[in-house]
Amino acid sequence: MLKLHTLGKRYGSRWILRDLNLEVLTGECVALLGPSGCGKSTALRLIAGLEHPDEGGIELDGRSLDGIPAERRRIGMVFQSYALFPHLSVRDNLDLGLKIRGMAPAKRREQIDAVLSTVQLVNEADRRPEQLSGGQRQRVALGRALLRNPSVYLLDEPMSNLDAQLRDELRPQLRRLILQGPQPVLYVTHDQQEAMALADRIAVLRNGRIEQIGTPQELYLKPATRFVAGFIGRPQINWLKKTNGACIGIRPEHLRPDENGDRCRLIGREWLGANQLLLLEGAAGQLQMLCSADLQPGENLGVSWSPQDEHHFDPISEKRLSRS
Amino acid sequence: MPLMRRLLLMLMGLLLAGSIGWSSVHRPEQVTILMPAPFVDATADQVKRFNAENNGRIALKVIRGPRDTESISDLAISSLLLGTPPFDALLVDVTWLPKYVAADWLQPLDPWFDSDDIESLVAGAQLGNSVDGALYRWPFGADVGLLYWRKDLMPEPPQTAEELIQIAQNLRAEGKVKEGFVWQGRQYEGLSCNFVEFLSAFGGTWLDPETGQPTFDSEAARLTAHWMQQLITQGTSPLAVSNYSEPETLQAFKSGDAALMRNWPYAWAELQSESSAVKGSVGVSTMVAQPGASPAATLGSWGFSLLRGSLHQQATAEAIRALTSPDAQRDRFLRQGYTPTHAALFHDPELLEASPVLPQLEEALSIAEPRPITPLYAQMSDLLQRQLSGLLTEKRDPDQAMDQLQGATLTLLRSAGGVS
Amino acid sequence: MAMVFGWPMLRYSWLSMHASSVLTGLEPVSNQGANWIRLLEDARFWQDAVQTSRFAALSVGLEIVLALAMALLLDQRWRGRGVVRALSLLPWALPTTMMALGWRWIFNTPYGPLEQMAQSAGLSPLNLLSNPDWTWLATVMADVWKTTPFITLLLLAGLQTIPDDLYSAFRLEGGKTRQALTAITLPLLTPYILIGILFRTAQAAGVFDLIQVLTGGGPAGSTESIAQYAYLNAMRFLDFGYSATVMLAGFVLLSLVIFTVAVLLQISGLLRPLKS
Repeated sequence: MLKLHTLGKRYGSRWILRDLNLEVLTGECVALLGPSGCGKSTALRLIAGLEHPDEGGIELDGRSLDGIPAERRRIGMVFQSYALFPHLSVRDNLDLGLKIRGMAPAKRREQIDAVLSTVQLVNEADRRPEQLSGGQRQRVALGRALLRNPSVYLLDEPMSNLDAQLRDELRPQLRRLILQGPQPVLYVTHDQQEAMALADRIAVLRNGRIEQIGTPQELYLKPATRFVAGFIGRPQINWLKKTNGACIGIRPEHLRPDENGDRCRLIGREWLGANQLLLLEGAAGQLQMLCSADLQPGENLGVSWSPQDEHHFDPISEKRLSRS
Repeated sequence: MPLMRRLLLMLMGLLLAGSIGWSSVHRPEQVTILMPAPFVDATADQVKRFNAENNGRIALKVIRGPRDTESISDLAISSLLLGTPPFDALLVDVTWLPKYVAADWLQPLDPWFDSDDIESLVAGAQLGNSVDGALYRWPFGADVGLLYWRKDLMPEPPQTAEELIQIAQNLRAEGKVKEGFVWQGRQYEGLSCNFVEFLSAFGGTWLDPETGQPTFDSEAARLTAHWMQQLITQGTSPLAVSNYSEPETLQAFKSGDAALMRNWPYAWAELQSESSAVKGSVGVSTMVAQPGASPAATLGSWGFSLLRGSLHQQATAEAIRALTSPDAQRDRFLRQGYTPTHAALFHDPELLEASPVLPQLEEALSIAEPRPITPLYAQMSDLLQRQLSGLLTEKRDPDQAMDQLQGATLTLLRSAGGVS
Repeated sequence: MAMVFGWPMLRYSWLSMHASSVLTGLEPVSNQGANWIRLLEDARFWQDAVQTSRFAALSVGLEIVLALAMALLLDQRWRGRGVVRALSLLPWALPTTMMALGWRWIFNTPYGPLEQMAQSAGLSPLNLLSNPDWTWLATVMADVWKTTPFITLLLLAGLQTIPDDLYSAFRLEGGKTRQALTAITLPLLTPYILIGILFRTAQAAGVFDLIQVLTGGGPAGSTESIAQYAYLNAMRFLDFGYSATVMLAGFVLLSLVIFTVAVLLQISGLLRPLKS
């Protein structure tokens, strides 16, 4: 189990990360989700021991990592750039760490062969990174992390260098190789869909602080802050105009056509396949609505929603207002 | 109408011819001379005066060349090789002359300078200006090697090679000076200049005056080589002189660290300056000579040469005469200390008053010794410098060095058909 | 390229087959390869070739090692690094002749700073410019001082192409900082080092101004370079036929060295990391 308590890091007087409290349980995958610059990669580097925290601490399986150098932390890390050594073949890339750790040649060979077949790179063993495709490179990086036999996996945007189709293909592989194992996994991403798809729990980070931690469903159904409500869920949540006091959001999928509802004019639409995304202009301002009916721009229609689907936030603190 | 037109054309023609004639009369003839930078400064006033006196007739322009002797030679040769150079005359070093003449770059000056002119010069300045009987150079100033000595350390300058060593060693032993005798031992032209004087001291010459053959196998050459090596091995001169050129030599003497110095006349003014530690206690003499041998002073000096392609030869010759006139030389001697070439100036009371060493300069000029006058001089000097440098720095055997030098010089001259 | 390189080469080749000196009135007269025979027998040319080679080898070797150390230092973050980076470039910006005059003063016996230091340390005069066995080291010293900044800059540029992630990954694999130098930095910097070596070797093989001003080729001709010998023949001796021969021979020797090295590098694959 990985435990972060009141973890903080600053550069000069500026806090990059502050008051981070998080537990990643055995076998669990937690995504650190947030826009770029929110401090999520810094959190990984602190855990890995590549940087030192200015506040708080890290515990792994009940033992503090304070003062333990990076090379002794047993971390399986996958970098966004994969960080493969360009002058070494795939095999040598995998071998480097084993050699440094003083493993016998025969055993190294055996382990590398096993990992190569796990990541399906047996035929690419003698190639250099420059001769591999993006997906193959990612698998080398995963293989290297596997070989470390780590106590925790840290994945830093492992998918962001790949195109969308490849990402979809690789997700099951990532699950099979790493997420299904017993080690806690901390997965950094800025892609909420990826986080929802892969993580057991998600921690949403903003400006170095955690906004909310919860399962994907909790984040979707009960976003704790206005920011989380906006960040989770696609298409993005609608913010209603002209509300008294509270800030009210309603998700596009919760709107429905209703003869008796608010009158809106259709000003644009996007086909998504199974349904379409309508852009409406009405008394509540501009609204996005998911709808299966075929409507033409310029048409008028009525829209309504169930009040229990509304999300209310305090306009000042931006915190969720609980409604009975 | 045709008549009118013809008249008009005639009128225009007249106007045109008139304007051309007018402008050709009144546009001054442009004369350009290339000089090393220090000489440009030294002649600035005289150039201004010449242009004022010849206003509208001749316009003298001076091109400021680099300061360094080798650089100015590179610049001159480069532009001469490219065909018509952008100047009519240039200042050449005494050793370049035969080479330039052989390359057919120069125009004789005989039509403008006759034997009376030449005889009006001090003895040393008459040398090194002619090649094969034709005058190719007119000296800008006189320059010869001198022996500077410390009046406060010795009553008289040394007369012989042994005496020089003895005086220097005694002074060193008594702790009165750090170094005995400083001179120019760096592998460069200055080393050849020093050698000519040392060789004369033992009664030798570089080339046999009769046959033109090298004489490094002579007894005099061997003695000279041994003596030069001894200067360093016995401590009369520091090993460092083997990398000294003129400035380093002057520095050692000027700071009071040395008893004797071989240098050129320019050093005198420096030694009398306020920054000199030996101001007022320096005497000037000529290089030592063994009994029976006559001392020599290596001839240096720059002079003006006229280029073959010049379109303004008459005007250029006039400019050269003006820049080397007794008045111009008096001016330069009083202001910058450049030694004059006109014999009469050495007895000029005003000049004698300004410089107490003028008689010594005249004496040195009377024993001036030119370096071999041959187009192959640069090669010969290069061979000599390398052997001497080896003699001074790696204790090469002097006899062997002279043998090798003799052989190499013979080979060089033979390849040139100089010796049968 | 053909204009600035090909034409002079053709011209030199043609000239090297002719006598063209003061003895021929500077007119080129065909001499059936006599210049080349003379060159083969010219001990001075071969001595200069050896001298030029050892000068280039030692200068370039020292420059690479020093530049590597400096580049590694300047690649670290520390206070005042910017100033030091700018200052370290100064020697490179200085004109060679000025720089050589400066070193001649430094080596001056007994007034130069080096000798003053030796004296105050109680040593006898070093006379570094008066020793046919050691003076060439003085020329190497000056050259190293002048051109190390250039290679430093080249290697610094190379260092900055190495992603920080590689060092992080290496640490996580258990590597020590010291090991990273040989495991990552040097292999990835190799192409830059090799380019530096090739470039500087070509440059050092043509060394001229530095030696001309610092030693004049002495003492006893011990520091004369091929370029200097070619210069002497042309500009001092006005022997253009032989000067062209010396220059061309020097160029051919250098080309052979560079070509051989380049082929060996290609075979060894050391240049490969550059492509990725």
